[in-house]
Amino acid sequence: MMKKETRDWLVLVLLGGVLGLLAGIIWMPYVVGSRECPPLAVLACVGLGAMAGLATQPFADSGRTLLLRSLGHFLLTAACFALLVTEGNLAQDARGVLFGEGLLLVLYLLIWLGRWTGWYLEVAQLRELLGLDPGPTPLKWRETLPYLPFVLVLCDLLPGALRGVERMVQADVPALSGLILPFLLLPVVSFCVGISLGRRQGVCPLFPIACFVCYLPMVYLLFNHTALFHCFMTAVPALAGNLLGALGRRSRYRNTL
Amino acid sequence: MQVEVKLDPERKEIGIVVLAPAPSPEVEELVRRLEAEQLSPLRGWQGDTMTLLPQSQVVRCYAQDKRVYAAVDGGAVYLLPERLYELEEQLDRRKFVRISNGEIINLDKVTAVDLSLTGTIRMTLGEAGYAYVSRRYVKKIKETLQLERRRT
Repeated sequence: MMKKETRDWLVLVLLGGVLGLLAGIIWMPYVVGSRECPPLAVLACVGLGAMAGLATQPFADSGRTLLLRSLGHFLLTAACFALLVTEGNLAQDARGVLFGEGLLLVLYLLIWLGRWTGWYLEVAQLRELLGLDPGPTPLKWRETLPYLPFVLVLCDLLPGALRGVERMVQADVPALSGLILPFLLLPVVSFCVGISLGRRQGVCPLFPIACFVCYLPMVYLLFNHTALFHCFMTAVPALAGNLLGALGRRSRYRNTL
Repeated sequence: MQVEVKLDPERKEIGIVVLAPAPSPEVEELVRRLEAEQLSPLRGWQGDTMTLLPQSQVVRCYAQDKRVYAAVDGGAVYLLPERLYELEEQLDRRKFVRISNGEIINLDKVTAVDLSLTGTIRMTLGEAGYAYVSRRYVKKIKETLQLERRRT
């Protein structure tokens, strides 16, 4: 006998699919400017409708199940979306499709953040009812704050200083800001600071974001858009270091128990 | 504190009345202890030895390999003859709550609650380790805690 949960899922998928089909049949002729509906575009609408029907299901669980379900849901939605954009001529080229997919990803992240905030409030309520300490701040922003000066020095002051030195000595080749900074200083220092934060506070997702955001103005103030990769040269090692530090912290606690 | 025993042959079970001039933490503590005392202990097995486990010492009861175990203060683990649903009936409903399909915990033993980025809720049970809360049971846990808070 089919479980109630599975039956509910199927009903939602079916309902979403039917609505998607109706939307496709009514909307697509206007989009493509023809009386005929491109069958693949309608199929994409059906798929998107079905995925919309299932939208809340990935968040019904937690942990690995949530990750796998969310990933599966995103990939299927992204595939249907790409098919719709391509078949409905909604984008001029591949870049347009990628841009649309990027927007979809942002939407997913926003939904996830909203859901996470709900979970956080729930846990805060549990802590209060149990008479426990309030626990870490949302996304550990307060715990990350003491590391902000490091980020500002590394991502704002240091590039400015190195650029200044190069101008002062009128260097022909900007080795300091063009080579040593992005390939040595940024990754190594971000990684080490990330490890330190991870060991003290665990996973702090705002830390790599802060590195990225703080470096971004420097790209346009000191360099140009070709130096955008510098942002990743600080954010990615910061994330890796933070995760590594958090893993070390977790194993340390496990050993003490 | 004055202790007085009144014998009444017509009574069917023991009853305790606490007399106090006004509510106080001492009175609350006494009532709490008396209430805990009346709950039947669990029968835990370690090999051929059966031990009576007072509910106040039980940290968690969990199912593993189709058997049910109880972890108590100090880290000892005992095999229980009951199923988890039977234990739910037997344990103090104000203290013990099911947190997943395979686990019941003593809320008094929870020392920390953490949330991961993927929404996993982890409860630290002192030295007994961690327990992971299934999202389906969060509402019930909150209800139990709110009920307990109202009573105290």
